Amino acid sequence: MSADQTADQNTAARSRDAGDAGIGPTPVAPSARQHDRGRTGGITFTGWMMSPGVALLGLLSLIPLVMLIMMSFSRVRLLGGLQLEFVGLDNWIRAFSDVELWKSWVLTIGFFVSTLGVELVLGIAIAVVLNRLTRGRGLLLPLILLPMFVAPSIVGLLGRYMLDPTFGLYANLLQGLGFEQDVLGNPVSAFVAVTLMDVWEWTPLIALITLAGLSGVNPSVLEAASIDGADEWKKFWNIVLPSIKPILLVAILIRSMDAVRYFDIISVTTNGGPADATKIIPVRLYEAAFRFFDLGYAAVIGIMMLALTIMIARLFVGLLSEKETH
Amino acid sequence: MSTHTIATPRRRSTRGRGPGGIVAAAFLILALAWTVVPLVWMLLGSFKGPGDVTASTPQWFFEPTWRNYENLFSGANNLATYLNHSVIAAVGAAVIATVLGTLGGYGLARTAFKGKKGLSFWFISTRMAPIAAVVLPLFLVFRFAGLIDTLPGLILAYLTFNLPFAIWIMSAFFEAIPPSLEESAEVAGCTRWQTFWYVALPLTKAGIVTTAVLCLVFAWNDYAFATVISGPNSQTLPIAATQLVTQTGVDWGQLTAIGTIVVLPMTLVGLAVRKWLVTGLTLGAVTGE
Repeated sequence: MSADQTADQNTAARSRDAGDAGIGPTPVAPSARQHDRGRTGGITFTGWMMSPGVALLGLLSLIPLVMLIMMSFSRVRLLGGLQLEFVGLDNWIRAFSDVELWKSWVLTIGFFVSTLGVELVLGIAIAVVLNRLTRGRGLLLPLILLPMFVAPSIVGLLGRYMLDPTFGLYANLLQGLGFEQDVLGNPVSAFVAVTLMDVWEWTPLIALITLAGLSGVNPSVLEAASIDGADEWKKFWNIVLPSIKPILLVAILIRSMDAVRYFDIISVTTNGGPADATKIIPVRLYEAAFRFFDLGYAAVIGIMMLALTIMIARLFVGLLSEKETH
Repeated sequence: MSTHTIATPRRRSTRGRGPGGIVAAAFLILALAWTVVPLVWMLLGSFKGPGDVTASTPQWFFEPTWRNYENLFSGANNLATYLNHSVIAAVGAAVIATVLGTLGGYGLARTAFKGKKGLSFWFISTRMAPIAAVVLPLFLVFRFAGLIDTLPGLILAYLTFNLPFAIWIMSAFFEAIPPSLEESAEVAGCTRWQTFWYVALPLTKAGIVTTAVLCLVFAWNDYAFATVISGPNSQTLPIAATQLVTQTGVDWGQLTAIGTIVVLPMTLVGLAVRKWLVTGLTLGAVTGE
């Protein structure tokens, strides 16, 4: 019987207690009350409660969805009134045979992996260190969380200000270290820069989620491991990490859905350049739609993105309901 | 409370400090600097005169001035207009989403029907739908409906992500209160609406506030929708900020001032609900301390 198995059982037992850290209650819980009294003309009370929101959301999500699908099979004309001219699979064939588009997908995946990788390592490290603090945590945590509330477009503009080759604070620092080029003007450093801007903004979220997970790690197991002579690293790797794994999975899924939405920072810094080095999928969609007004083609990209989101959302919901049944 | 129980044995085991403690402290200081320096630099920049804000050797000490803020709120291109647009669009979208989300979330939490899973899935995938994929058809629909460059159009656009978010997260908050309380209220003769209003609602006050704050932050910080849908009559602060850049020569003093105006209120309201932040931002998948 290994230590991490014990830890697993302990967290499982603890997360059943309401208010403790762990996978919490979700809307797909089977615990919903079966009785639904107060029927009024066939529609239940809960039905009435949901109807305004569902009706509005229906309008706001189904009309655009139908429109998006129609657009993907059409040539869209905006001049002289809106016109959709059916062109069959034209846009789809163009999209699937466009090498540039596939490069953008690869870039998007590369961007996602590098941002999330750095965010996970840094976020977990910050959470572990903060969790050890006995004093000053209440003061430090809010400071660490600040970037999450900053509008991404402002993050991008601030990044430009910090990296400006003539007066930027960070550019100045980098020049001192021997990096003389314009950071946002060079393909590699521009990619690194926009990655780090996302890292700056969202590492706090990973730290916050990990911190919630760490409060669910059973201290007596850690103590027992110390008595057995395990060092800090071993304890982290064998006890702490396995027990926060489910929570980290949630964090990864949330961030991966956000990664497909990512647009603001790149739009205001590099706008895809230099030499397409940062032209991830959403940036390409905006360019196709609102610069070249190739709206049908952009719609195909939109549907691809939507399909990916739905796949990740499935995993997310699956993860939640799996936790419920445990 | 659970954090204290962990802290005690951990503290004992690291009493000796040693190299591990020093590394941890150094890391924390670096992480803090990495996090805070850009924001401090922005705040300082907004109080710098034209010479200091773009001085080739960065200036930490300078003669502070209100000039940038004064310039922003005077003259023909007054920022107050954009500030108004931002407030109306963000507050409007947050209030509508929170009200409908509270009703809908309660309905979703307290019901059990066959399509519930599908409905939940629809909410979450709508919330997570890429803005680029939504704004594209919305642009055409809004053109047709005359909603381009209007504040109601902007509010509707923000509701595409705020409304599913509010319904989903409020449902998670309602799920967290034991149904037994409501059951006994009903036994005592309350109608279902009274049970909701007098029993369930007060118990989720914190959840409602968190939902409203997060909806406000999401809408206020939007750039991707506004850059397509807004125009001279509905331009919001983030758009106004980026427009300062595209004009020839950037006034970084004004830009850092706008940045401060955009960032400051959201950090204040965001930190006010930080206890429930983790629940809100993980869509109810993780509950905090």
